[in-house]
Amino acid sequence: MIRFEKVTKTYPGTSQPALDQVSVDVEKGEFVFLVGTSGSGKSTALRLVLRETRPTAGRVYVAGKEINRLAGWKVPRLRRQIGTVFQDFRLLQTKTVAENVAFAMEVTGHSPKEIRRTVPATLELVGLSDKGDRMPDELSGGEQQRVAIARAFVNRPMILIADEPTGNLDPATSVDIMKLLDRINATGTTVVMATHDHGIVDQMRKRVIELDTGRVVRDEARGVYGFQH
Amino acid sequence: MRYVFSNLSQGLRRNLSMHLAVILTLFVSLTLVGAGVLVKRQSDAAALQWGNELQITAQLCRDDDPNPACLGAVNPQQLKAIEKVVQSNPQVASYYLESQQTAYEKAQKLFDPKLFEGDTPVLTPSAFRQSIWITLKDPNEYEGIESAVQGLDGVAGIKDQRETVAPILRSMEVMQWASLGVAIFLVVAALLLVANTIRLAAFARRKEIAIMRLVGASTVYIALPFLLEALVTAVIGVVLAGGALAASMQFGVQDRLRDFLGFIPWIGWEDYLYSLAIVAVLGPVIALLPTLLLTRKYIKV
Repeated sequence: MIRFEKVTKTYPGTSQPALDQVSVDVEKGEFVFLVGTSGSGKSTALRLVLRETRPTAGRVYVAGKEINRLAGWKVPRLRRQIGTVFQDFRLLQTKTVAENVAFAMEVTGHSPKEIRRTVPATLELVGLSDKGDRMPDELSGGEQQRVAIARAFVNRPMILIADEPTGNLDPATSVDIMKLLDRINATGTTVVMATHDHGIVDQMRKRVIELDTGRVVRDEARGVYGFQH
Repeated sequence: MRYVFSNLSQGLRRNLSMHLAVILTLFVSLTLVGAGVLVKRQSDAAALQWGNELQITAQLCRDDDPNPACLGAVNPQQLKAIEKVVQSNPQVASYYLESQQTAYEKAQKLFDPKLFEGDTPVLTPSAFRQSIWITLKDPNEYEGIESAVQGLDGVAGIKDQRETVAPILRSMEVMQWASLGVAIFLVVAALLLVANTIRLAAFARRKEIAIMRLVGASTVYIALPFLLEALVTAVIGVVLAGGALAASMQFGVQDRLRDFLGFIPWIGWEDYLYSLAIVAVLGPVIALLPTLLLTRKYIKV
């Protein structure tokens, strides 16, 4: 589903590469944790998958296509197959919960009929079916992150990318979010989650890829976060 | 599409003062461009009527010519002799003979139609002179040909067009360049204003744009509200400029100048349409060009 072949990314004006000869293969339907300290290259790896940036050397494949060769106008089509969730939720504060989720469908050209059918079902999946009319600032952090996940998942992407999705949440809420991501993974969606959260990684017992200064230093099928700091 | 149109009206209202500034600048600059085009058409029309600046005309004698240099109408031998002198003169680039009939027809366009009507009209072809229209190689070297032709039998006199026409043409040229010159500055101002408006609009919508990119909205879809906003302001600017130009045509040229300075062939509505077409193309270009460039920059996927 996602394959990195000797991917190196050096940002302009820096000598130390953010990613250094990284080769990784993520199968369809896998759940993968991407761990490592700040600056280890996690975010760069995620940005490469979204084609927010291109590798300096090497190749990135998503769903069998080499995406650094993708023409600019085809990039939106790639991103429709990838849902993205961030630490800071990134909801539109002027829209209700349901409108925020519907927005992702509206701007990708879905019909109002499809939107009316899909949005309530997705809100139900994330456990917010009674809060569709609320504004984001009326919700707790955990609930806002659920809205963000609903928005990322409403177009039924093949891949869900989560960049520190529990970074702003307390441990109990984080567990709920992880259960939700696990449920989404169970529908066949590949989930890649970058995180610092030891507890969660240790609990979930999923594949763990650890990055350190741009290199893969560990890739375990059922891993834990690693050294206790 | 619903999103695009709700965004359009929202965007227009949110940035109302900026959009008004763009519309007013477009209005004034397009009006000046249109005016410059009209003045150009006017000076072209005048030059066509009078011959261009380089021409001088040798007026030939007609029947009952009041000019003391004439003893009756020019005869074929005299005409041949005159043409030979003109032909062999080194200062002459080219020349042609204008008949009495042609002179008469030119005059019909300029003077009151009453003068040409009735059983015994005031003006008939025989009231006009044949003339030889001479184009000079160098407009400053005319004494030689003037003195060579002047005094030949059958020549009533030399009319140096430049004495009468040149000041008019020159002032039209000044008007034309002045309006186009000011228009260029205003067009630059309009371009910058449009660019600023887009910058503000893109900033106001940056969160939505970021999410649209993330979920895979196409670039065209993201840019469409911006392009439509620019197009709406452009259309309003063009309509205002077209109205101002039409008003100056109607109240200026048609109602006043035509009566006041009747001997000049004034431009008509077809010239107005020509300038309107230029304005109607230029307006959207001024508005859309910076929009396209900047949306590419701000909304890059």
